[in-house]
Order: sequence, then structure tokens, then C-alpha cells
Amino acid sequence: MIARWIDYLRERANIVRGCFFAFLVFAVLFDFIIDRPKPHFFGDTIIGFWSLFGLLGCLLMIIICKGLSHVWLERKEDPYDN
Amino acid sequence: MITDLFIHPTSWFILGALLMPFAKRLGIQKIWLIIVPLVAMATIYRLPDSFGIVNYLGFELQFGRVDKLTFIFLHVFTLMALIGCIFGLQVKETGQHIAAFLYVAGSLGVTLAGDYLTLFIFWELMAFASTFLIWYRKKQRSIEAGYRYLLVHTAGGLVLLAGIFLLYQTGHDLSFGVFSQEGAGWAEYLIMIGFLLNAAAPPIHAWLPDAYPEATVTGAVFMCAFTTKTAVYVLMRGFPGFEVLAIIGACMALYGVGYAVIENDARRILAYHVVSQVGYMVCGVGIGTAMALNGVAAHAYAHIIYKALLFMGAGAVLEMTGRSKLSELGGLYRTMPLTMIFTIIGGIAISGFPLTSGFVSKSMIVAAAGYNHQTILLVMLLLAGVGTFLSVGIKLPYFIWFGKDSGIRAKEAPWNMQLAMAMAAFVCILFGVYPAALYSMLPYAASYQPYYAYHLSETFQLFGFTGLGFYLMVKYLKPHDVSNLDLDWFYRKGSVRFINFAKGPIVSANEWVSNVYKNIGLSMTMALARAFSWFDKEGIDWTIDGSARNIVAGGNSIRQIQTGRIQHYIAAGVIAVVVVLVVVIFS
Repeated sequence: MIARWIDYLRERANIVRGCFFAFLVFAVLFDFIIDRPKPHFFGDTIIGFWSLFGLLGCLLMIIICKGLSHVWLERKEDPYDN
Repeated sequence: MITDLFIHPTSWFILGALLMPFAKRLGIQKIWLIIVPLVAMATIYRLPDSFGIVNYLGFELQFGRVDKLTFIFLHVFTLMALIGCIFGLQVKETGQHIAAFLYVAGSLGVTLAGDYLTLFIFWELMAFASTFLIWYRKKQRSIEAGYRYLLVHTAGGLVLLAGIFLLYQTGHDLSFGVFSQEGAGWAEYLIMIGFLLNAAAPPIHAWLPDAYPEATVTGAVFMCAFTTKTAVYVLMRGFPGFEVLAIIGACMALYGVGYAVIENDARRILAYHVVSQVGYMVCGVGIGTAMALNGVAAHAYAHIIYKALLFMGAGAVLEMTGRSKLSELGGLYRTMPLTMIFTIIGGIAISGFPLTSGFVSKSMIVAAAGYNHQTILLVMLLLAGVGTFLSVGIKLPYFIWFGKDSGIRAKEAPWNMQLAMAMAAFVCILFGVYPAALYSMLPYAASYQPYYAYHLSETFQLFGFTGLGFYLMVKYLKPHDVSNLDLDWFYRKGSVRFINFAKGPIVSANEWVSNVYKNIGLSMTMALARAFSWFDKEGIDWTIDGSARNIVAGGNSIRQIQTGRIQHYIAAGVIAVVVVLVVVIFS
């Protein structure tokens, strides 16, 4: 049952994608209308700051971690096998 | 004393472990596995503030010290033991259940310990018992990983013991109380290092992602809950407000999540993620305000449940498919949808979605950093939150249940595994929807309200745009069958190098020295001995009276008389008899 429901959504990937982008727009718009408590640091005063933080943080983390793994840390075989 | 014994929750688990073989013999092992945690859980509600005080060799041991902080940890530990036992019901090996029970017993014993000696005994019981949860996987890699785990924990235990000895030497009694940062010296910091090793703080963390993925399916569920969170508890007891912990914790949060982004094995991703989540707690202990410490206790509770849920999800997949590498999985939503739903609930709870336990617990620590104006810590913790959602919230479920279809059509996990997952998922959502259930157990007086518009807005944006980042980079995140080096390299490669060094240079140096000794040393010794002997014989004896020389000469003459032939001796005997007779007769 659940599997069929997921298949149904997968066949309509465009709608799912549309919903996701609509949520992103909502998240930013929501930030315009809310009350802001006393800020802890400058980021708390900028509207949409956490959107940028989330996106850049995610991209940088992928690039830096995957990059480090690729050039330095990763090993095809178990490095500790004799 | 006897009544004290029966109210101590640890004794129920020890008794449960000892009687497990009989329970199996009677065919009631499964019932026994449920009853013991339930009884232990019932006892924690009726514990007196202090019990089980014993004088031993002049030391006062306190087996039971109870306050609100103890209670919340006892509560989650016994609940987790129950969930873990239900998850492991289908495991037939009695030994594995015994190891799990003793491990839980150790953890509860540490939580209740009022002095360092009691703490140390149960601390070692935990390390020893949990090693068997790795070994019971019975694969070569598990056996090796188990030995490394045991060695690292033995080393950590020795550091802790050294700290305890130093503490005693400086005139401190061994009661387990709060240290102050100002007066802390070697003893305190050694104890802290011993605790931090169990909390898996880099650079002494590598035992965790090394061992947990090699443990048994059930073993990993138990292990992810107890060792690190017991360490968090003792850090809370001993070292609140130590600034160094705040820094270490924030670094842990990022370090763990960084590895979780790049790893391939599902259970290794989760293991690295334990490092990250425990980082939040260690950081909260370092911040040390009432709100931060409440946050640590709440987060420890929530974390134990959702991390166990995630380990159960990945474990169920491993149990049913025999695989745990993301690169070998994919498309499992078709046949294991319930496991998927439970795991995703764990994933969103750990990320801190609204209406889940992570949202109400993690944010307390972050908010405490904010109220304390520790902006760098705040940003590091929020960045770790982004990584958490990326690695465990999206990447892990996506590549197991969606992603490229691996063609695996495994059956859904057995009912008991699903029941255990459902219980954990229920707790995750209960605390999210009704935070008072969690907050009412918190040890300190500090009110916190997680649901306010700005917090929701911050969360929506962080998760929405982290999701966008994943969507943009999903090709780049595709898992490959690789492993990544970590700091265990130093002792794993280091030990191999040491053995090679021992085989090469040290052995040849040893041979060279013995050759030199044989050729030069030995002949010199012999020559010297001969010289002394000559001096003794010719010099000293001549100087005194020559008696030694005369005795030698006399001995020589007697030796010549003794021919060794029997007829000569008989002849001599006959002659002697004749002489005696002649003397007797004629005198």
C-alpha cells in the first residue's frame, strides 16, 4: 500500500518538485511576517539569513568533505588489510 | 543491605544475566528478556536518595545516589534496554543477551555511583561486556575490531584510574562530586580525559566508528545508546562549566557530521553521527548554565531513542538483506516500507524537525549558547545541524530506500523489530508534540518554550535550503565503495609499523649485540676467569700456607691408589683381615 503510494508520487515527480519549491518560497516569505525576538547575533536581524546559511552551509560541507575525502582520505581497498 | 541490593536496578540486570541460561533451558528466554527491563524500570521510581553505602578497606563506597539528574538517565536507560531487548528477541544466542544485560547493568551502576571506585568498577564492566556485543558478530573484522575496542577502552580506563589515584593522593575523598574549573589540576583533567574517551571526543574517538559498524545488529542498537551517554552523564556530574568542553563539543559536532557526509556504510554513517550528537551534549556541559544542562539531559534522552531507532532501521536492513553499504542498497521502499517510515521518523527527529523530539531538545543547547553570547559555538552547532539533516535526514534514507534500484526485494523485518522501532518512533513524536513529557523530567530549574515563530522560521529555512543543496548535489553525493582514513590510522598502522620495526631493526640490533658478546665478551670473560683462577691458585694459596695445593696433591695420590678394579679391593680387604687376625692372636 505504502509502496504503491510512493510509486504514484514518483510518477508525478514534477508535482512533488513543485511542492518542494513552493515550500522554499513559503519558508522565506514566512520569515518576513514573524516577530523577531532579541537577536543573539547579527544573523538574527537579517530576513532570510537562515536560508542562505542552510544552502551555503550544505554546499560548502559537501564540497569540502567530499573534496577532502577524494584527495586525501578515501581508499578503494581496506587500508588495513595485510 | 539485602533490601538495598534489591532496589538497585543494576542487580536486576546482573541477576537477569546470571539466570538467562536457565530461562533458555525453561524455554522462557523471550519472556525473561521483557520482564527484567520492566522490573528494573519499575524500581527506579521508588529509589531513596541514598542507599547501598558500604565500608570496604577504609573506603566508603556508595552504590546508590539519586537525584533528578540520575532519574532522567535511569529512565531512558531502562526504557532503551526494554526497546533493545524487544528488537533482539529473535536472537537465539544466550551469550549475546547476557552481554547486553551486563552492559546495561554497568551503565546503570555508573549512573548511580556516588564514589569513584564504584564508578570505576561499573565503568570497566561496561567496556568488557560491550566487547562481546562486537565479537558475537563472529566475523574476522568484528573480532579484530573488538580487540581494538577493548584495548582502547582499557587504556582509557587506566587514564581514569590514574586520575582517581592522583585525586586520592591530593587528600580528596573519592566521593563523586562537582569539580570547579579554577581548582582543576592533573587529577581532574586525567579523569576528564578518561570520560571523554568514552564520549568519543576527537582525537580519541576513532574506536566508535571502528567498532559499532562491526557489532551485531542488536549489539549496535545497545552500544549506540549506553557508552557515550553514560560518559555525558558523568561529565555533567563532574565537569559542568569547563570551557574546554564547550570547544571540544562544538568541534565534535562538526567532525562527526563531516565524516557522516562522506561515509558509505549506513551503520558507520550513524556511528560518526553519534560523535556529532554527543558533541552537542559535551558542548552543553561546557556552557554549563542551567538551561544548557537541561538541554544536555533532554538531548541525551531524545538522542538515545532516535539514534537507537536509526540503528534499528539500518540493522533491520542489514538483517534482511545482509548489506549495509549504501552503494549496494537502493529501492528498498517497495518491500520494506514500514522500516523506511520508522527510520525516516528517526532521521527527521535527529535533524530537529518541528513535532519531533530533536526540535525540543537540541534547540535548548543551541539557545543556551545564544543566551550566553557564544556566537561561534552557536554557528558551529547550527552548521552541524545542517550536516545532520544532509547526512542522516536525507542521504541515508534516500540511498537505502530510493536512489538507484539495487534489485533487492528483501522481506519486511520481523514483528518484534518493527514493534521496537514503532515504540522508539512513538517516543520521538510524543516529545515533539507534547514537550512537557520530557521537560517535566529535567533536573534544573530553567523554563524553555521551543515553539515560537522565529524558531520555526529558522528551522523551515535551514531544512528547506539544505534540501535544495542536496537536490543540486545529489549526483556528487552518490555513494562509492570506499573507506575513509581516520585517526585510528595512528594506532592501526602504527602498531603494524612497530611490529615491522621490531622484526627489522630491533631484531638485527639484538643479533648484532649477541654476536659481539659471543665473540668478544664471552672470550674476554673466559680469559679473565682463567687469570683469576691462576691468581687464586698460585698467588693466594702460596701466600697463605699452600694447604690447597697440598690437599689437591694428596687427593691425587689417593686417586692413584683407587684403581677401580674389584680384585684389588678384595685383595686389600683380605690383607686387612689377616693383619687384624695376626694382631688379635699374637698380642
